Amino acid sequence: MSAGTRPSPAADPALAERLGVFEGRPAGPDLEAADEVNQAMIRHWVEATGDENPVYVDTGAARRAGFAGIVAPATMLQAWTMRGYRRTKEIEQWRARGRSRAGDVTDVTDITDAAGAPDDSPLDELFGLLDEAGFTSVVATDCQQEYLRPLVLGDRLRARSTIEAVSPEKRTALGAGHFVTTLTEFSDATGATVATMRFRILRFRPGPVGAREEQRPLRPRPAITPDTAFFFEGARHGQLLIQRCASCGRLRHPPAPSCRWCRSLEWDTVASSGRATLYSFVVVHHPQVPAFDYPLVIGLVELEEGTRLVADLVGVAPDKVTIGMPVLVDMVSYDDELTLPVLRPVPDEDAR
Amino acid sequence: MSVTRATRLHDDVSVGEQLPELAVPLTRTLIVAGAIASRDYQDVHHDPELARERGSEDVFMNILTTNGWVGRFVTDWTGPGGVVEQVSIRLGAPNYPGDTMVLSGSVTEVGDPAARRDGRGDVTLSVRGSNSRGDHVTGTVRVALPRRGAELRPLPGGR
Amino acid sequence: MSSRPSSRHGFAGTTALVGIGATEFSKSSGRSELRLATEAVAAALDDAGLQPEDVDGLVTFSADTNPEIELARSLGMGELTFFSRIHYGGGAACATVQQAAMAVHSGVADVVVCYRAFNERSGARFGAGVQGRPPLPTAESSQFSWYAPQGLLTPASWVAMFAQRYLHVTGATTEDFGRVAVADREHAATNPAAWFYGQPITLEEHQSSRWIVEPLRLLDCCQETDGGQALVVTGLDRARHLRQPAVVIRAAAQGSGDQQDMMTSYYRDDLTGLPEMEVVARQLWATSGLGPEDVQAGILYDHFTPFVLYQLEELGFCGRGEAKEFVRDGHLHLGGRLPTNTHGGQLGEAYLHGMNGIAEGVRLVRGTSVNQVPGTDHVVVTAGTGVPTSGLVLGAER
Ligand SMILES: [Zn+2]
Repeated sequence: MSAGTRPSPAADPALAERLGVFEGRPAGPDLEAADEVNQAMIRHWVEATGDENPVYVDTGAARRAGFAGIVAPATMLQAWTMRGYRRTKEIEQWRARGRSRAGDVTDVTDITDAAGAPDDSPLDELFGLLDEAGFTSVVATDCQQEYLRPLVLGDRLRARSTIEAVSPEKRTALGAGHFVTTLTEFSDATGATVATMRFRILRFRPGPVGAREEQRPLRPRPAITPDTAFFFEGARHGQLLIQRCASCGRLRHPPAPSCRWCRSLEWDTVASSGRATLYSFVVVHHPQVPAFDYPLVIGLVELEEGTRLVADLVGVAPDKVTIGMPVLVDMVSYDDELTLPVLRPVPDEDAR
Repeated sequence: MSVTRATRLHDDVSVGEQLPELAVPLTRTLIVAGAIASRDYQDVHHDPELARERGSEDVFMNILTTNGWVGRFVTDWTGPGGVVEQVSIRLGAPNYPGDTMVLSGSVTEVGDPAARRDGRGDVTLSVRGSNSRGDHVTGTVRVALPRRGAELRPLPGGR
Repeated sequence: MSSRPSSRHGFAGTTALVGIGATEFSKSSGRSELRLATEAVAAALDDAGLQPEDVDGLVTFSADTNPEIELARSLGMGELTFFSRIHYGGGAACATVQQAAMAVHSGVADVVVCYRAFNERSGARFGAGVQGRPPLPTAESSQFSWYAPQGLLTPASWVAMFAQRYLHVTGATTEDFGRVAVADREHAATNPAAWFYGQPITLEEHQSSRWIVEPLRLLDCCQETDGGQALVVTGLDRARHLRQPAVVIRAAAQGSGDQQDMMTSYYRDDLTGLPEMEVVARQLWATSGLGPEDVQAGILYDHFTPFVLYQLEELGFCGRGEAKEFVRDGHLHLGGRLPTNTHGGQLGEAYLHGMNGIAEGVRLVRGTSVNQVPGTDHVVVTAGTGVPTSGLVLGAER
């Protein structure tokens, strides 16, 4: 996990520009220590590190050593504003709901607790952008702390973090990634700075993903009723079917039991030509659901026959999509059960 | 105010001095104890099954605990009157259970005592913690040590 | 401006909002949704100077998880003679007040409490969308079949489809969406109850916030909130003897448009309007005898910024396609033509499914908003947009 790096030739300049705007922004809201510097937490710490230095537990020894009283181990700094298991549960829920695909070897609490994310903070936004670009894994790489005075029992800390730097894309031993550096200022109850920290993590693109593709979750299933089954059945046979009133001949979508014009309950279907014009569209970035690839372009089209339809728009870069562009309907099978119409741009020579 | 004999004095330190090595046998319990003491409940620091699912070989030590071991390693050498003022570390090979991390270090700089007015002088150390895979941590630590016979200015406490 | 009573809506001008109460607005309440509802209702009754045993009616959203009987048990309300629920998500907000007013006016109940409480941030989050919903063979569930398998899963994505078309047709820009967010956050910045108290944003920050679903950015989207809000409705005669000055319900209306869907009404002639809000607006103005010119402040439902522009047009504060000029001229801010969402809205204060906005409407009429609009006689309040919706005109008794 060494941080030896070189620039990555495949880096995306547009992404670099979007990442650059985060430099200098606050990482998130200030973190208030839940508890004062206290003997109990110090005891857990010195037991965990086998530290027998008496200045952490014995007032007399601490005073004899030149301290004002019992002090906390200097390197325990970050522990005072960590938000503990409650925070971890929040992050787990956040991930479970598809807000992030961060995974693999992660040390997310280290940095998020140091800097306040994920809570719709700038750091959260930055991580969102990196997630989206595929840099979903995290490892803490560097920590520099400077202690301006020892912390004594009763001190209460507040941590304020800013995003100092977001590196261009680098190749590392772990894979291509971006280093994110935060600066944290720890202050006491009087507002005086007692310590500073520079913390660096690497967000990197995890290794081969073939194994994951095989276990990719299925797309959400359509809820099918006797009024709508024909559409999905037709799609499985490669046809985009539109419901047609058997009485007055008008077309309708989404399907309904009755014709809104002549109230007839009788209907059949017609197959669409597949020629359509883009009426509106969206580019989905968040939340990211594992069944889909992002950014995901979804179009609302007017079919040549006159009805509208929502379908994924594929084969065109999001920034090349324009309202009014002609598209063609194609059928894509995602699994044994689900086939859906998708939209593809019309090749130039077919456009007219 | 004077200092107990157990504290190493600035006067007695010279560049190149080696710190006594500290071998840390890494067990799951030690790793988990550090994670909990630092309030880090990431599953990769306590749940072997989930750690493996995330592409790690086992649970591994979190960076806060590594920082703690570096601090302890240095203050073992300085004694109780040593004041840790700066720690910079970079992580490398993970600390997995079953391995042993050996901490070693040496003095790289002894500061001019006249630069400080609190009866102490700066010492800068280079520190390394290695396991069977290579360097787990490398870094530098700056400590302040009392000078022989100097009137020590008490360190500020505070609220 | 005096109001003339409407023969159509007998409750209008004869019923009043007499109490408001809320919990704190947080991201993790640490307590049950029923407890949030209990605390909010107790606070609203206290504000009104009423006791739980005075309550004989309850109204909430069909989306709420807190049954009326559990709330009544929790607070010792005893017997109830009226309980009712409104469907269609946030579109229910102002309709709860309408239901309460109708019950009071018809004599079915005397004191009715409207409430909404949820752990919408720490519990089930609406922003996560519908991907986890089981595909039931029902008409309501099957409507999602035209969007969910395609990946159009979230409220933000449903609204974005409208917003993209709106930009295309009207020439508005995403900065105009941002101006709504900036106004909301400016108001939240001075409201201690707001989540984003002390945290205004600039248009540049809006423009540099990350995409959620283009053309919507993070700062176009409301918060997700844990909390509860309650409102007390009774007859105007009784209201005059209670603790607070009566806030008269000048009009309350529901509306569903032609070819209405749940946020995906994509099959109408155009996507630059909210016909359901036009249905509401028409009733509000006809019932109250008022018009946009008689209203000094607006609480316009802001789960996503674009629909605030739509509402300005539907309610008649500007012409079709002219909301962009309206917001560019700063009219949403204090001192503007229609200071809007003076509590910070659902972007800045909290996402309480519109109910916190009704409370702010009450404060504006009482003259107690932290961002008080001087000389407020009438406030218009709206509920969830893109869905079958509702609205209110509230006024002072003078
Ligand atoms: Zn027909």
